Amino acid sequence: MNGTNVTTSPSPLRRLIDGYGRLLDLLLVASVFILIIPVSLQIFSRFTALIPHYIWTEEMARFLFVWTVMIGAMVGVRDSTHFEVDLLPQMGTRGEAIARLCGRLGILAFAIVFLMAGMEFTRFAWNRTSELAELPLWLIHMAWPVCALTWLAFIGPHLIADLKIIAGGKP
Amino acid sequence: MTGSVLSPGTAATILFGLFFLFMILRVPVAFALGLACVPILLIEPRLSLMSMAQETFNAYNSFILLAVPFFLLTANLMNVGGITDRLMTLSRTMVGHWPGGLAQINVVLSIFFAGISGSSTADAASQSKIFIEAQRKEGYDDSFSVAITAVSAVLAVIIPPSILMIVWGGILTTSIGALFLAGIVPGLLIAVAQMATVHVYAVKRGYPTYPKAAWREFFCAAAKSFLAMMTPGIIIGGKIFGWFTATESAAIAVLYALFLSLLVYREMDLKGLYTALLDTGKLAGVALFCVGTASLFGWLLAYYKIPEAILQGVTAWKMGFYGVGFFVAFVFLVIGCFLDAIPAIIICAPILAPLAKGVGMDPVHFAMVGIVSLAFGLVTPPYGMCLMVACSVAGMRIRDAIKDTMIMLIPMLLVLALVIMWPGVSLWLPSFISPEFLR
Repeated sequence: MNGTNVTTSPSPLRRLIDGYGRLLDLLLVASVFILIIPVSLQIFSRFTALIPHYIWTEEMARFLFVWTVMIGAMVGVRDSTHFEVDLLPQMGTRGEAIARLCGRLGILAFAIVFLMAGMEFTRFAWNRTSELAELPLWLIHMAWPVCALTWLAFIGPHLIADLKIIAGGKP
Repeated sequence: MTGSVLSPGTAATILFGLFFLFMILRVPVAFALGLACVPILLIEPRLSLMSMAQETFNAYNSFILLAVPFFLLTANLMNVGGITDRLMTLSRTMVGHWPGGLAQINVVLSIFFAGISGSSTADAASQSKIFIEAQRKEGYDDSFSVAITAVSAVLAVIIPPSILMIVWGGILTTSIGALFLAGIVPGLLIAVAQMATVHVYAVKRGYPTYPKAAWREFFCAAAKSFLAMMTPGIIIGGKIFGWFTATESAAIAVLYALFLSLLVYREMDLKGLYTALLDTGKLAGVALFCVGTASLFGWLLAYYKIPEAILQGVTAWKMGFYGVGFFVAFVFLVIGCFLDAIPAIIICAPILAPLAKGVGMDPVHFAMVGIVSLAFGLVTPPYGMCLMVACSVAGMRIRDAIKDTMIMLIPMLLVLALVIMWPGVSLWLPSFISPEFLR
């Protein structure tokens, strides 16, 4: 890093990542809201004759839930809200940046492993459908590679910020 | 073992060693658990990286865990929809005139909150925002405010409904209805212990009190929050009478909170709803992702039959009823310092269950000992969710709040000892209301 790059507006790549993050926020809000629907249907169909007993409500709820958890985990890396255990004593700005960098390299390594595992997982589900609603299973298994790729996209800016602090720049 | 490359001992060393190493290196717990499993998955020819995706998928593909986002959402809706405000006014008319009035209100509001939401994290997050700043203004010490807010938040998983009870019931096939009933008495006892602690602190340090509310004020406040107070009855009653399942009871709590905030109190706008949904999704995501990797970790432990090996060693000690009770509490208290409660249940409860059964402990009693101990783990560092949340809202370091938190834990630990030694504390209510739940 040379000292001349006084950037005022974020790079196009950075804006793309930010926009993608906002899209994920929206999807997360929508999926939490929609989650209530199949479970409510399940209760009401039991006590009233207004709606038939849909057998797919339980499966739909589970699959949407899987996506909700995975999107939440993606956003968690962007916001650095995944729970950490802070065992070491408080260090200076630079020491803290190094400690954070260690943790983030761990996330990076896990994201790469998760991507490999997730791609195999999706390929495995390619021609299969779910038991009740007969949805193509890859639609759900896709969440794994998508999650890993998203982590890779979100961890980049964090890594760069930490490296800048360690190199002696301003936070 | 048939056909494993690694011996159980080596596998355990790799799993636990790497897990602690990564945790010290500040890798988030969920990722540390997952990374610790990688070498095993690569070394063992019968396993592959895909097991990682498959096992985490199996963990999330669960109707039971759906209760977690629902309870978080209920709590968030209560806050934006004016339900919390009404319950707060009611608490004030009840205990505001006692020494340390605001801190007493803090505990009583946690009891009400616990009866509606099943998540301590949600309780800690919302009450920290309400109380810490307010207590600071009234001259309470910061460390006291943080500590009492954090320890009272643990009531949410002891007083029903409770996420921990739902998860425990789902994993060990113990009746969730019975667990709900069993939690009421221990939860109230712990609340009494906390209020007594506040009393002593307040008298010693001269914390302020409010003027005594007239009976009229109390009845007005009670009438205003009557509909909100109905929630525990609906949830627990519905579960006990078999109207709906545990997850559905959480969905009912959401629908009822939505109904109150949108149609009755009319204090929630679209922006409030959006924030409530987003906060819920974010917190549920990070909390539950951890459950997935913890399940993978637990699955590998089971693959090598490591739990059985540990259990064999412990069985050789020939502990009696009380010995096992205290041992179970000790294990969960220690694990609770390092792990979130849900993964702790997934990994440890099935290991300890045969031990409890061996000395004739009732499964519901065993569950209560485990759940109360794990609830205390929510405020014990290094990994105490409620303490972390309260500290981050107060803008102070965990280290500075530890002393007061530990002092407040002492009377609570005495209640835990009572729960262990006297099964009736947990079992009396379920055996009174619905004996068919207890075998």
